[in-house]
Parts: sequence; C-alpha cells; structure tokens
Amino acid sequence: MSAAPLAVLGAAPAFEHPLPVGQLYFPDWSDYVQAMRGIFERQYYTNQGPLVCELESALQERLGVQHVICVANATIGLMMAAEALVLRGRVITPAFSFIATSQSLTWAGAEPLFCDVDPRSHQLDPVRVEQALWQEDVSAVLAVNLWGDVCDYAELARLAAKRGVPLYFDSAHAFGCEVNGRAVGGFGALEVFSFHATKVLSAAEGGCVCTNDDALAARLRNIRSSYGAGPPVPVRRTANGRMSEAQAAIALLSLQGWPAIYERNQALFTAYEVGLQGVAGLRLLHPGAVSRTNYQYVVCEIEAAVFGLDRDELHAVLRAENVLARRYFAPGIHRCMPYREQFPDVSADLPVTEALCSSVLQLPIGQAVDHAAVARVASVIRTAQAHAPTVRTALQRASA
Amino acid sequence: MSSKRHRSDLALFGGAPLFERPRSTSSLVAPDFDAFLAYSRVFYDARQFSNNGPLVQQLEQRLAQLHGTTHCVTFCSGFWALVLAVKCLALPGRSEIVMPSLTYRRMADVASWAGLVPRFCEVDPQTLAVSAQTVRPSINSQTALLLGVHPIVNCCDAVGLEQLSDETGIPLFIDAVESVYETVQGRKVGSFGRAECFSLHASKLLNGFEGGYVTTNDEYLAGRLVRMRGFGFYTPDTVQEFGMNAKLNEIHAAMALAGLDGLTRQVERNRERYQTYRQALAGLRGIRLVAFDEAERCGYKNILVELLDDWPLSRQRTLELLNAENVFARAYYAPPLHLKVGGASAPPGSLHVTERLAERFLLLPCGHFVDEQDIRQIVELLRFLHAQEAQLQPGVLS
Repeated sequence: MSAAPLAVLGAAPAFEHPLPVGQLYFPDWSDYVQAMRGIFERQYYTNQGPLVCELESALQERLGVQHVICVANATIGLMMAAEALVLRGRVITPAFSFIATSQSLTWAGAEPLFCDVDPRSHQLDPVRVEQALWQEDVSAVLAVNLWGDVCDYAELARLAAKRGVPLYFDSAHAFGCEVNGRAVGGFGALEVFSFHATKVLSAAEGGCVCTNDDALAARLRNIRSSYGAGPPVPVRRTANGRMSEAQAAIALLSLQGWPAIYERNQALFTAYEVGLQGVAGLRLLHPGAVSRTNYQYVVCEIEAAVFGLDRDELHAVLRAENVLARRYFAPGIHRCMPYREQFPDVSADLPVTEALCSSVLQLPIGQAVDHAAVARVASVIRTAQAHAPTVRTALQRASA
Repeated sequence: MSSKRHRSDLALFGGAPLFERPRSTSSLVAPDFDAFLAYSRVFYDARQFSNNGPLVQQLEQRLAQLHGTTHCVTFCSGFWALVLAVKCLALPGRSEIVMPSLTYRRMADVASWAGLVPRFCEVDPQTLAVSAQTVRPSINSQTALLLGVHPIVNCCDAVGLEQLSDETGIPLFIDAVESVYETVQGRKVGSFGRAECFSLHASKLLNGFEGGYVTTNDEYLAGRLVRMRGFGFYTPDTVQEFGMNAKLNEIHAAMALAGLDGLTRQVERNRERYQTYRQALAGLRGIRLVAFDEAERCGYKNILVELLDDWPLSRQRTLELLNAENVFARAYYAPPLHLKVGGASAPPGSLHVTERLAERFLLLPCGHFVDEQDIRQIVELLRFLHAQEAQLQPGVLS
C-alpha cells in the first residue's frame, strides 16, 4: 500500500502558505489610503478624535446600548472594567478562556475563582456558578461568551442578583451575535468586545466596553482618559486605554464590510459542516444559545478513542500541512503562571475544563480562507483518520 | 503683528481670538504621507496588523540604534511601557518607588498599577529634575526602585543617579519621554540606568498615533518585557509569566517609522522655533525662557518659560488670557503629584522647592502647527498683556 498523501508521512504540504485561524479582515488598499489621508488632512491622531466618536456612536446604535467606550485593546478594556466595578476579593470566572480574562482581574487586585463549564456548550455552567457564589469574599461574576455563542444569560443574571454581586461579560468572541433577536453587548453590568485583527470586527488592535449604566460609563471614561467626553468623576486610578484614529478608521471600514464578512463566514462554516459530516469522533460545535452567531470560530472536539488520533496528533498533522489549527485553550488558565502556583489544587474541581483543554481544536475560517481551502482541510482530516495507525507511528517516530 | 490694541480686543473680553485654530504644546508632527503609505504596504502585504509584525521589528531595531542600546521593546502606549518596566525592575518584597512630585500627572497611577507606593522627592531648582542629592533622602529599606525623570527641557543628572543606584543597589529606571533626541555628557539618552522609557503619542517628538517603548542593554529584561506585553506567552501554548496585551500595532509602527525618517528635519524646525522664541522673548521683562543646553544634543521640542517675580499677572490669569486667544499654553506639572494624590510620604508643605516651582512655569505653543509668524504674535500678545496688566487683573471692571 502506498503512503497516504499527508505531509507527516512525507508528502508535500496541502497548503503552500500557512492558513491561519483568525478572521484577519483587511480593507481594500484604496479604502485604507483614503481613510489614512483623511486623518492626515484633519491632523487629528488620537485623544477621542472624530473617528473614535463616530465609531462609538455607530456601535451604540447597532448594539442598542447607551454607552460604548472604545479602547486600545480588549484586555485593557477588561482591566478598566474590573477597576470601574471596584472589584476586590474573588471573582467567579471560567478557567476555560483566554488568559487575558483572568489577568484583567489580577491587574485590578482581585482574584479569579475558577468555575467549571458545560461539556456541550463550553460556556460557564450555572450549576457550578451557584455553588461558587456562596463561597466567601465573592465580589462579581465575570462570564465569558465563547465561540460565537453565549452563556445562559438569564440564569446567570438571576443567580448573581440573588447573591447581590455584579455580572459582567468578556464578549471577545461575540461581536455581532444575537440572543432572541437582541444584540449581545447590552447584557449584565457591562460587556467587553475585542477588535483584534483575529476577530470578526477588526481595529488592528482594539476593543470596546458597552454598558447601560451611566455612572459606570463615567468611571470607565475617566479611567481610560477621554479628553472631555463625559463628566469627570473620581476613580481609584486612571490609565491609558485610548483608541487611536487609525484604529477607529480600520474598525469603521470593517463595520462597513460587516455584511460581506458575515456572509463569508457563514458560507465557510456551512462548508465545514458538509465537509466534516459523518467523521466519527469529531464533533463540530454549533452555537446553540444565540439566535444569530457570528461564525468567528470553527471549533471541533476530538474524541480520541473514536477518531483514532488524539487532538494533539491531529493538530500535528494539520500543522504539517500548513494548516495553523489552534488548541485554545490549552493549557487552561489554571495551569498557567501565576495561577498554577496560586491555586495548585484547583484542577480537581475543573474536570470538564481539563477534558476540553485536551480535546478542543479550532480550524481556519475568515478572510484568508476560501471554499477550496475548507474542502482541502476536511479532506486532510478524513485522510488522517483513515490512516490513523500509520500517522501515529510516524508522529511517535518523529518525536523520539 | 498682533492686532490687539485695547483690552476689548482680547478674546477674554469679547475680541476675536488671536488664532482661529488652537496653537498647542503638542508636537503633532505629520510625517511624509507617502513614506507612511510605503511602510504600510509592508504589513498590508504580509497581512499582519499586529503581534510582533514586520514593522514593529523594524521600528525596534531602528530605535535601539537611535538610542545606542542593544534592545528596544515597543508597547501600545508609554503608560503601559512604564507600568510593565517598573513591575519588572522593582526589587521584590519592597513596596516603594522614589519619584519626583513635579512630573507626569499619571505617574502615581503608573506606580499603583505596578503594585508600588510612590515616595515623592524634591527636584533641583536649577534643572527642575531629580538628582542624586534630591533622591537620596527618600531611600529607605522599602525602596524597590528609583525613578529618574528627564524634565521637559534638558536632562536630569543621569550619571549621578547611576552612581547612586550602584552605591545603594537599588535599580534606576528613567522616564525619558521628553528626551528622545538628547545626550547627557555626550552619551545618548536611552542607555542610562537599567532601562529608559519613551512615548510615541502624537503629541511627542515621534508621532506613532499612540505608543511607547523601552530601551535597555539588559537582554533578560527585554525578553521579559516582550513576553509580558503579549500575555506572558513563552511559546504559543505556554504562559510563563504574568502579563497583558500591550502590543503596538503595525499602523502605529508605520507612522513612527515615517516619523523617524523625518526626525533630523523636525529637530531642525524645532530649533528654528526655539531660536525665534529666544530672540522675541529677549526684550520682554518678567519672562525667562528656559534655555536648552546646547553643549549637548537637543530635540528643542518644548518651549518652557518661567514667570519671574516682576511678571505682573498670576500664572492662572495669564493662562486664562492666553487660552481665550487659542494660545493653548499650559501650566508646567501643576498641581504636583503630592498635592494631588496625597499619601504619607509627602504631606502638603513638605516639598518646598517643588511647590514653589509648580507655581511659576508655563509651556508655550510649539510643534508642527506653530510657525515663526505665530511665535512673534504670541510674544507680542505677552508684551501687550504686560503693558495692559493693570486693566487685566481679575475683578477689574472696564
């Protein structure tokens, strides 16, 4: 039998150039030039400039929230949020998230209280949240809306209200999503979106904080530094969280291109559904709690015993083909510094997180990906499964 | 020349402002647009907006060269550059950072984010800067870090501070935001202490929209800073360090690179503005221009004046009159931090020199929007204020 056409078995890679996971929207060059020329003509570069104001208004309208505060990046937005909420003590949050979620708490002087997630949706598990809420010194719940889906908003809100602590959201993955027709952005005390280049709305780097609470918005603006936007109010400490005019220009173009970005992602996601249908041991996640998703990520769970290869083996196969699949979030936040030293025994309380960290894989979607690429990625996965034992032997030999 | 002949010509009393568009103390230099686009093309073709892209790498190399250091690490702002560097450099287990009170208005917040408490110290009345002599009395068993700060014009005695650091074993970190182009005893600013910090904010000598950077000869520190600005990732799948997102994006890097290309020319233009101010202010009583030390290399960016005892108006009144004319002069570091944020280290009244200096200095308009004609008009306006002072005091009725 001749060797299967896989790069790990010596064949040429399926892709000549690396295929990334992120959205990577880029405006047309001429639109970029025009937007930047406008900035040079106005000679207004930063400090709550006209484009940032325009972006904040556009987002307020689109998301149906009172206040949108644009920021340099989502991590700084989360840090500002924790400051503005004057958090202390412990904050309930998932360990199955990007590291920045917990880092924002540590920066603000609070501590993450890691809580497990639901095995099907990967979102924060309300049952576990309820148990954690009544521990000592809990000052808030920082929930994360993952994978273009959302948490159980209503149940989390009910629980947090019962305990009398604020609930707020890291919605870095959720721009453009809707719950029962209502845009994500206006839930809880506040929500933070990411406009990093890898997200569906790009400002190169950037993000925003959304809230309907006037007092909270005023504090956020004062912490960010806002050059006259909103009334001055006392805050514990300020920072620099400003978004520049250049970042706002990209975000406005990205927002303009939103319908096309959305359609492309939707079509690619459908192509993955078709291409991966019936692959045993591979579950493609379907955002289920939203009435509309943003198709920001293609997330698979690999059940090694059924698929024939484990997640890391499949990841290695794909990398060899120049498919830059990712293993978010491995290791979980609880296994990263400084938390693994701070909370050495927490793993036992996070069985679902532990399992997901070794079984979840993201496949490429976004502006750098087309239908042919999706078909080829799916075909690589099927081929790898068909030749699983050979692949495993080759990978073991390579790492020995 | 200034058309102001009567009190009623002044904007504060209903006259038309001297300038339609404000003249500020921000540099706001516009680099060559085509150069900016040419740099932009690099990240555009590489399809990379951020995450240590090609332009960030190029910018870091060129800035290290500019400052004569082995390493440069860029950040999304000078603020977070300061916070991360302070966090890295502070001696573990100690709680205080010694810093001047007469400095950047967010510096106490920088210390707070880095987990330290500021201990405010005096400045030298001649240089307006900290020196070994003013810092030494603030050092105690809790001192984790010495923060030297180059003032708005000229530099602090970085050599003396280095000696103090060597002698005490407490690391020295320098806020060099206003001294990109300067030298101290002929040595380029950037390599003093353990590290120095700069800003790429649009108001500074190098306009990168927003941004900042740290220069150092310490390879370990540079590596740590690179990891900390990117969430602490050591490899794509391992986080070894506490961090955040403080990455500079590629558009901002393109802007700063285009600015670097035009830096010599910008400094030359700044020098011309400074000379014009110097000549025009020479005959005006009551105002002293803080001179650049031209024995060293200077960026000539900021125009700082002292209101002397024979200047007839208060600084507050002078600022009101100027600002109404769209002359956006600003008070120099007022109020000083110890009066603003409080704290046990320096109660009001304890820093006599600082408190006196904080009442006397003004920054006058400078940078890209200000030409020689503007400068003559601004000085003419000051001359008019001086001449009409009796009518301009607060509360005087027409």
